[in-house]
Order: sequence, then structure tokens, then C-alpha cells
Amino acid sequence: MIELHGIRKVFNAGNPSEFTAINGANLQIAENQITVLKGPSGSGKTTLLSIVGCMSRPTAGRVHLNGREITSLPERFLTDIRRKTFGFIFQQPNLIKGISVLENVMLPAYPLGEKRSQLRIKALAGLDELNIGNKSHSNVEWLSGGEAQRASIVRALINNPSIIIADEPTAHLDSKLSYRFMEIIEKFKAEGKTVIITSHDPLVYDAAIVDRVITMRDGQIEV
Amino acid sequence: MNSWIEKQRYIIDFTLSSLLRRKVKNIGLLVLYTLIVFILASMMFFTHSIKREAALILKGAPEVVVQKIVAGRHDLMPIEYLDTIKKIRGVATAAPRLWGYYYDNLVKANYTLLVPPTQTTTTNISRTTVVENEPNSQSVDLTKPLYEVNGTKLESGTIIIGNGVARLRQIAKGDYMPFLSFDGNVMNLKVVDTLSAQSELVSSDLLLITEEDFRKLFGIDKQFVTDMTVVVNNPSEMPTVAAKIKKRLPQARPIIRDEILRTYESIFNWRGGMMIVIFSAAVLAFVIFAWDKASGLSAGERREIGILKAVGWETSDVIQMKFWEGAIISLTAFFSGVILAYIHVFFMGSPVFEPALKGWSALYPNFSLTPFVNIEQLTTLFFLTVLPYTVATIVPIWRAATIDPDSAMRFTGD
Ligand SMILES: Nc1ncnc2c1ncn2[C@@H]1O[C@H](COP(=O)(O)OP(=O)(O)OP(=O)(O)O)[C@@H](O)[C@H]1O
Ligand SMILES: [Mg+2]
Repeated sequence: MIELHGIRKVFNAGNPSEFTAINGANLQIAENQITVLKGPSGSGKTTLLSIVGCMSRPTAGRVHLNGREITSLPERFLTDIRRKTFGFIFQQPNLIKGISVLENVMLPAYPLGEKRSQLRIKALAGLDELNIGNKSHSNVEWLSGGEAQRASIVRALINNPSIIIADEPTAHLDSKLSYRFMEIIEKFKAEGKTVIITSHDPLVYDAAIVDRVITMRDGQIEV
Repeated sequence: MNSWIEKQRYIIDFTLSSLLRRKVKNIGLLVLYTLIVFILASMMFFTHSIKREAALILKGAPEVVVQKIVAGRHDLMPIEYLDTIKKIRGVATAAPRLWGYYYDNLVKANYTLLVPPTQTTTTNISRTTVVENEPNSQSVDLTKPLYEVNGTKLESGTIIIGNGVARLRQIAKGDYMPFLSFDGNVMNLKVVDTLSAQSELVSSDLLLITEEDFRKLFGIDKQFVTDMTVVVNNPSEMPTVAAKIKKRLPQARPIIRDEILRTYESIFNWRGGMMIVIFSAAVLAFVIFAWDKASGLSAGERREIGILKAVGWETSDVIQMKFWEGAIISLTAFFSGVILAYIHVFFMGSPVFEPALKGWSALYPNFSLTPFVNIEQLTTLFFLTVLPYTVATIVPIWRAATIDPDSAMRFTGD
């Protein structure tokens, strides 16, 4: 359960370029549900998502994760929560170039110091599951858009997060791959995970598996 | 603890593959860095070993050497001088010496021919060349007392040669060596032994010859010698004794060991001074390149750090990664530079520096220094290179702390 209370996010406070991206958002996101955030470009979806995912702190307001107040925690704890609780799928695959797909996928687990043999097995299994096992030793530059995105999904899952956050996951996919993505999402739900997606793709927010659609406008949540 | 080690292994692995993927840039960096360490280490090895050799050489040098100077030029000394010198108060003993240079046209090298003293021990012999006598050559005051002959007796028609000579002429015990004497005749002398010595510098170009053969070769009359060595009773009286010699024998030039040392030192220091220039240049190059490194993170690096932080790396993990990056590069460069320098100085005779640093190199065509390595210097070199570089790679990373993980969410396109 994620609860947001009176979240505000102001960029460049005090500058002429000061901008309030989120202005008093209150929201509860239930566990084991698929929640979609939609809304026009610039309405603050990504910003809200990064606050939910402990990537950035709100200027004001509080975030509770499973009843625990996390906004005031020091960076180290936030990082720890982030890597253990959240898996991120970005709009861009954001893979690191020059190293293999397998290494990319294992990256989030490195700071945890897990045993290498186990980690490898886990990573390879994840890649197999998304049908890119045969690419595990390729360089990421050689991947197609869809393959790169699947690799980034495997990376998001490597630490077995309970909450998956996806920002515009289908923006760069054709409709076939987008459907494939929604199938993967469905599986997450079946595994008991919580999924939060931002999207302006009807294929996403109109999908039957989506439990809840939240619309944002000008930094506020529409009711 | 175990997972901490595992984590470091992961980070090192990732660092290595990170380094590999910017192959050209990092190899260039490594080569430059290794080169700088190589130059610095070569210089350290070189100067240190030369200093050690010099100390060895001068340890056994006679306290005073007396030469005859005619019109400012070193000339043969009449043997009567010996009695005059011996009679001077404060002089313990005095002995004549016969030695000279022989230029071997075949291998284009100078040898030092020396008649070993017959009467006393073999330890207190030395040769001296005076810098002023040879304005064109960069010859240094060298004295060479420390050779050892392994009991072989030197007879007429035989010679004992130094390692350098043996190497250069590719001759050994039993071979004959031809010399062109002053009157144009060829003298064939048999090599009966080679010299061993604590220091190559001492014996490399040395050639021991009998008095008879020496005089025949150079055409020097019985009543002349090259110079004389003097031992004084009281070392503090040395300047007084030298002054007395000068007074009695106006053409004599007494050279005190400390003076030799000074001449040697000043030339050495001049060379040392040149080394300082090279040294500073290398350090400067290093600082510039460390600074360049320190001064920024490329867009690519910022992006990567953003991604790493977004997927759950802490700032401290990223710093550790950069630490390993700096450590791997600088340690590799340090060790390869030092090893290359060692080979360069001690096995190859410093070909890079030779023309600049070893004026007397003509005398030592196959010069090789005895390896003396000073741990203190190596440590200094380590702290001068590895440490600043590693720090320089970490410093810009503090700025990485300001890269928010959510920046990864805003990367657009590549
Ligand atoms: N670091 C920043 N500094 C200043 N302004 C920012 C910053 N990050 C975001 N903004 C602004 O905040 C607003 C909300 O941005 P956000 O990325 O959350 O929108 P979005 O709803 O995700 O839009 P899109 O659908 O186009 O992805 C935008 O107007 C953006 O320009
Ligand atoms: Mg967005």
C-alpha cells in the first residue's frame, strides 16, 4: 500500500524558472493491482512516479510505504528501499552500452553482493522467460528496440521487487510488442506484484487487466 | 563480510568491463601514464645507482693524486718528483702510477690501461682524469680502485681485461688482443684473465698491463710516470701538504680526493639538475592529465551514473567503482612503468637517457649498472603517481552525488 499525502514538487524554487510540477496530490495505491496514471504531457506523471519510487523527494507532503513514512529517510535508506522494493522500467531502455546484456541485467544486484553463480542463474532465467536468453552475451547496442526493452524489464525484476514502476513503457513499441508487454504485466499481477504505469497509450489504460486509471492534469489528480 | 567482498568483486568486474569498453581512450591513458612512470622510475633507478657506484668508487680512491701540468695540460711526470714528495713533512707514503687511455678504432671505444702497483696492495690504485684537460669530452673524474684479480699473475706480454672490454671485443681468457703502439708497431697481448668487480663502472673498461708493455706501447721512458698517489699522515693536513707540494714542485698539481668528489658531484648535480627538469616536466604532464581527468564527467558518464543510481546503486557504490577504476589504471601503469624502467636501466643500459645523462658513455659502450633499488624512492614515486590519480578519479564523483536517480527517467534518445 502506497499513500501520498499533500505531495508538492517544485522545480528550481526561487528561480525565475520556478515550476510547480505537482501541486497537492493525494493518492492511495493498493497492493497487487495494476494502476495506470494518464494525462497530458507535462501534467506531472513522471515526476509523481519518481516520488513514489523513492527516486526523488517531494518538496512538501509525505509518502507512506506499507505504513512507513519514507520521505524523511536519509539517502542510504531510500536507496535500499528502492532497490529492494521497486523495479523500474523506463521510457528508454537505459541500458549501459558496451557491456553484455547479461551484465546489464545483473547490475542492480551488484551492491547487494549476492553469490555470483546464483545471480547468473537468476538473470539467465529472467532473460529466457522473455525470450532473449540467446542474446545474453550480446552487446546491448545490437539489440532491437523490443529486445532492449525486454532486457530492461529483466533488469527491473532482478532483485525480485514487490512493486513495479513503468514510465511510458510502450512509447517505443509497436502494437504487437505492446500487447506482449501487457501480457508480461499480467503475469506480474498474477505473481502478487503491484504495478504502476504511466501512459497515454489507450492500449495500456483501456486494457482489461488494469484495475484503476488515475488522470492527472496540471500537477493535480483529477477525481 | 562475505557479501562485502562479493560486492567489491562485482564492482571491480564492472569497472574492468567499463574500462574495456572505452578501449582506445583508456589504453591511450594507460600508455601515457605508464610512460610518465617509466621516465620517472628510470631516472630514479639511474641516479640512485650512479650515486651508489660513485660512492663505491670514491671509497677506495687515494687521498691525494699529484699530476704534472705543463701549459695547463696534463704531462708525464718525472720519477724524481717522488723523492721530493716523500720528503715533505706529513706525507706518509707516495707511489708512482702508470696509466693511460687507449682508443680502440675497431670498436670506437676508449680503454683505460693501468699498470697494477707491484709493491703494495692492489686496493689503493686509482686513475684520475682531469676535466680541464679535455675540454671537448664530458669525461668525469673517475677513480677506479676496486677491481679484483683472482690471483692471476701478470707477466710480460699478457693483459687482464675488464668485462666491458671482453664484451665489446668478444674475447676471453686465452685470446690475443692487438694494440697499435706509439711507433706504429702492432703488439699482440694475451688475455690471461678478466676482472671481476663490485661495480661495473669500476672495471668495465679497465685493462691491466705490465709496466714493461705499457712503456713499450705508449713509448714512455723509464724516468717518467703518469702521476703519483700520496698518503698523508693526518687527513686534516691534506690541504697543507697539497700546498707544500705545489710550492716545492711548481708544475705539480695535487688533487685532493674531496676535490674529485666535488668535481664529480658538481657534474653529477648538473646532470641531476637536468633530471630535475625532466622530472618536473613529467610531473607537470601528469598533473595536467590528472586534472583533465578530475575536471569533469562526460555526458556519457553522467548518464551512466544516473542509470546506476536509478537501478539501486548508492553514491558510495559509484564512488567505489570510480576508486577501482583509478586504482586499476594507476596500479597497472605504476607496475608496468617501474618494471619497464628496471629493464631499461639495468638490462639495456638506459638507451633513452644515455646521450643526455651519461657523458662518459663512449667509455662504456656496453654499460650496465648494478641494480640498486631504493624502496623509499619507489614509495615516493608511488605516492606521487598512484595516489593523485586515484584521488583525481574520485573527486569529480562527488559531483555525481548531485546526479539524481530520477534523471534516468528523463533521458531521451541517445
Ligand atoms: N528537473 C526539472 N526541472 C524543471 N522542470 C522540470 C524538471 N523535471 C520536470 N520538470 C517539469 O515538470 C513538468 C512535469 O514533468 P513530467 O515529466 O512529470 O511530465 P509527464 O506528465 O511525465 O509528461 P510526459 O507525458 O510528456 O512524459 C513538466 O512541465 C517538466 O518540464
Ligand atoms: Mg513522463
